[in-house]
Amino acid sequence: MSRYEVNVLLYRLKKDPAYRRRFRDDARAALAGAELTDEEREAFVSWDARRLNELGGSLHLLISIPGLGGH
Amino acid sequence: MGSLVYAAAMSHVLYPDYYGKNVGPHGRKMVEELIAVVQDMGRDLRAARPDALVVIADDHLNVFSFDAVPAMCVRIGQTVARMVQDEAIEFDQALDGLPERYPLHEDLANRILEDGIEAGFDFAASWSAPLDHAFLSPVSTLCGAAPAPPLVPFWVNCFVAPQPTARRCYAAGRHIARVVEAGPWRVAAIATGGLSHFPELSLARVGTSDPAFDRRLIGLMERGDHEALRALTAKELDQTGSHEFLNWMVLLGVVGPARATVRFFGEMGRVDLAAVEWEVA
Repeated sequence: MSRYEVNVLLYRLKKDPAYRRRFRDDARAALAGAELTDEEREAFVSWDARRLNELGGSLHLLISIPGLGGH
Repeated sequence: MGSLVYAAAMSHVLYPDYYGKNVGPHGRKMVEELIAVVQDMGRDLRAARPDALVVIADDHLNVFSFDAVPAMCVRIGQTVARMVQDEAIEFDQALDGLPERYPLHEDLANRILEDGIEAGFDFAASWSAPLDHAFLSPVSTLCGAAPAPPLVPFWVNCFVAPQPTARRCYAAGRHIARVVEAGPWRVAAIATGGLSHFPELSLARVGTSDPAFDRRLIGLMERGDHEALRALTAKELDQTGSHEFLNWMVLLGVVGPARATVRFFGEMGRVDLAAVEWEVA
């Protein structure tokens, strides 16, 4: 099973342009309320897509977030 | 009495620029060949004069959020919108310029849904889900300049574990076949996606496929060996990157024991491309 919280955040980054801007400006602040492990949080902050994928993040989200996607 | 008048399955990224960019001239040329075959298949589809076109495809986490992921979902209502995304991924940029709305075949969709619930298939229903490239790339290539027949979009959860089983997808297809037979309509059905790509949904493995597995699937479809296909496991489909074959499993149920005719099969490296038809008339 994929990690729910990681994928909820990835989905929000894909679909919510305002949240995506906040994340790009200050990822750590944008993630403040999220229930993530330290490892997951660091993978988001450093935008390590491979690591997020290994942690259960959906490939289809990781390749399609505007400005952060690509493969 | 109704009848299935056309059935086919095909890969659904019919976009030369994407493969040109990510694979090179060889990829572009191969998908251009596939597109020409699908356009030719569209002539057969239109000649069959369908009242409705059932399209079985998957959500690329574009439509259904993680609030709920339906195992299978019937799109009901009168019309459906083309998905519009800001800064869309290349697959979906191919939809720019297509019509913004398509008619649905409301009566057939309602029968598939309501008779399905009655028969024990707990299908989800959506009034609002829009269509991405998995639906519209094949539909627009098949139909060309002609208007699309009224659609019945049918989603299968191919990518969020736990997915429905191959056997269950086939059974859902048998249900659709029974609805078609009992109804008054001439129905065409297609499944889209595949063949193997993105094994184990791993970013590290993007760019690879499993040609040996795909040749096996093609052989089983040509021989009409549906029991072997129903026995495919979630692990096999995941490891080979054949998640989207679940869409094809629904269609195999729709066509029953018929043998497939392969119109196109190409091993690109990044993905194996295919287009297959079934003799149904």
